[in-house]
Amino acid sequence: MDIFIGIDTGSVSTNVIALDENINVLFSKYIRTKGQPINSVKEGMAMLKEELDDSCVVKAVGVTGSGRQMIGLMVGADVVKNEITAHAAATTHFYPDVQTIFEIGGQDSKIIIVKNGIVTDFSMNTVCAAGTGSFLDHQSERLGVDISEFGDLALTAQNDVRIAGRCTVFAESDMIAKQQYGYSKADIIKGLCDALVRNYLNNLGRGKTLNPPFVFQGGVAANKGIIKAFEDQIGHEVIIPKHFNVMGAIGMAIMAKNQVEHSGQSSKFKGFDFINLEFTPKSFECTGCANSCEVIKVINNGKTIAMWGDKCGKWSSSI
Amino acid sequence: MKIGIPRALLYHYYYTFWRTLFEELGCEVILSDETNSKIVSEGSKVTVSEICVPIKIFNGHVLNLEKKNVDYIFIPQFHKVKKEWYCPKFLGIPELVEYSIENLATPLIVLDYITKTDMIDSFAVHKPLLNILNVTSMQLKKALKSAREKQLKFRSICKNGYTVPEAYNFLFDGKPLPGKKKSEITIGLMGYVYNVYDNFVSMNTIKKLEDMGAGIITFDMLDEEEIKIDKKEIKQPFWTFSRKIYNASKQLINSGKIDGMIHITAFGCGPDSIIGKMMEIDCEEKNIPFMTVRVDEHSGDNHVNTRLEAFTDMIKMHKRKGGNQ
Repeated sequence: MDIFIGIDTGSVSTNVIALDENINVLFSKYIRTKGQPINSVKEGMAMLKEELDDSCVVKAVGVTGSGRQMIGLMVGADVVKNEITAHAAATTHFYPDVQTIFEIGGQDSKIIIVKNGIVTDFSMNTVCAAGTGSFLDHQSERLGVDISEFGDLALTAQNDVRIAGRCTVFAESDMIAKQQYGYSKADIIKGLCDALVRNYLNNLGRGKTLNPPFVFQGGVAANKGIIKAFEDQIGHEVIIPKHFNVMGAIGMAIMAKNQVEHSGQSSKFKGFDFINLEFTPKSFECTGCANSCEVIKVINNGKTIAMWGDKCGKWSSSI
Repeated sequence: MKIGIPRALLYHYYYTFWRTLFEELGCEVILSDETNSKIVSEGSKVTVSEICVPIKIFNGHVLNLEKKNVDYIFIPQFHKVKKEWYCPKFLGIPELVEYSIENLATPLIVLDYITKTDMIDSFAVHKPLLNILNVTSMQLKKALKSAREKQLKFRSICKNGYTVPEAYNFLFDGKPLPGKKKSEITIGLMGYVYNVYDNFVSMNTIKKLEDMGAGIITFDMLDEEEIKIDKKEIKQPFWTFSRKIYNASKQLINSGKIDGMIHITAFGCGPDSIIGKMMEIDCEEKNIPFMTVRVDEHSGDNHVNTRLEAFTDMIKMHKRKGGNQ
């Protein structure tokens, strides 16, 4: 059987998925990155290898996410693309008539506007992570409620509590005040969910016309409280895809499949052996000029296989 | 006599004029280094924190020139063109430099540019040079004439679709103008010359776009006539360069020459907060994709790469599907 692999290497989670040629998801793994992108990808790929039988042939690999450059090189990717293009590719495949995609991940969030299956506009959060998964993570820790119970608890709220969602620092002082006023944890969590969605729609959706169908994906789409807040605030049903937390990876597998089929070339995939190889990223400050670029190099078996981070190309072009 | 010119702000527009002028008057022109992280961090250190990054960089370049043993540092004070003004920070730049940098050892040459047009060859403006450089009125007039001609030549190169650095390389380093590449898509790259052409600030946006198969058109590639004050409009931005950029964007939107528009703006820029939104609304009306790239002191370019790639991908897919935008 031919399979197509997609990898999304993000700051909070690393996702590895495999598709068959009819775009059925055969394998899907969501791993917490914990600052170890290389090991997380190896872990996911090792699990995938376990699942595959001898008849499986990897026909194409696509990589997205903040660590895409390094991981793409390590696995031998056919396509390396940004997260926006990747997410849109997956959503438009499963929901061809989608017009608005909400994506909230660990440290970034985006709104993607689609018309006739093509991205026509998008926006991403810029300097602040207040409307992302990290914000919720942080608050769940503070309240002593596990993040996986967050959404269910929010649904039991009895009262509306308004919490400032602009900034985690202000949200925290609001929460403390509201706790002192006697609101329950459930009320406060619902207030937080409302605040996150309000902040997200204000920041990213400003000036844009958001039309249904709405599809909501990314790790945060697991949170029922957030889904409810979205539906309340936009006044419309929101679709959660079956594989909501690995959509970027699925999009990459689809794009890699298209690319290989279109070009007729065989995949650049290096095989699963890389799982046992040592890839060590190292960084140093270049002293060539006053820019003092932080150059990153990846070493495999004592040999430098990739370098980047320099402005002038002195190092990156030396490989 | 050595005159130091900071490689910042309107260096990216009037360098040809100034270099020719000073050289004709028997001076040697020394440029500060290209913007690098040391220049940015030294500039930021001495400048008030809430000001935009191009101004911080200007101070960094003045500090850089301090180490280059020049006799004077040239600080152009851009004031007004007829009834139009420059951003207030340009008006106050000599004071800003003097009060930001304590114990500046090198004396400054400050010229207050109040002109009638885009051409800055007014004799009255340059009169202070008579005493400072000990030259005669005749000599100054002759030098201004040469500077004017060279500046016009520079502008004519730009209008042929070349970027400012390409024109400078051709005029001053004898490098041939690059061959014109056919690109899959064309982007209107809107922004002030000191943001667009400073590779540190823009994080090499032009090169990145070219690598992604996108050609660019900037406001300086258009003729002054095309982007002059539009008298039919009730209101025009009253800052010179903001008006040029806004009118260029209108021109490009209506010309059908561009597939998308990117606005590069420095964090905290006042005039851009107005024209940026106006350009966005205009693009929306004509269904032209628009994106803002906001730059600041930070130098991590991952977020810029992601946005540029997503934006160009989006436009390419449109085109391939038959341009039903």
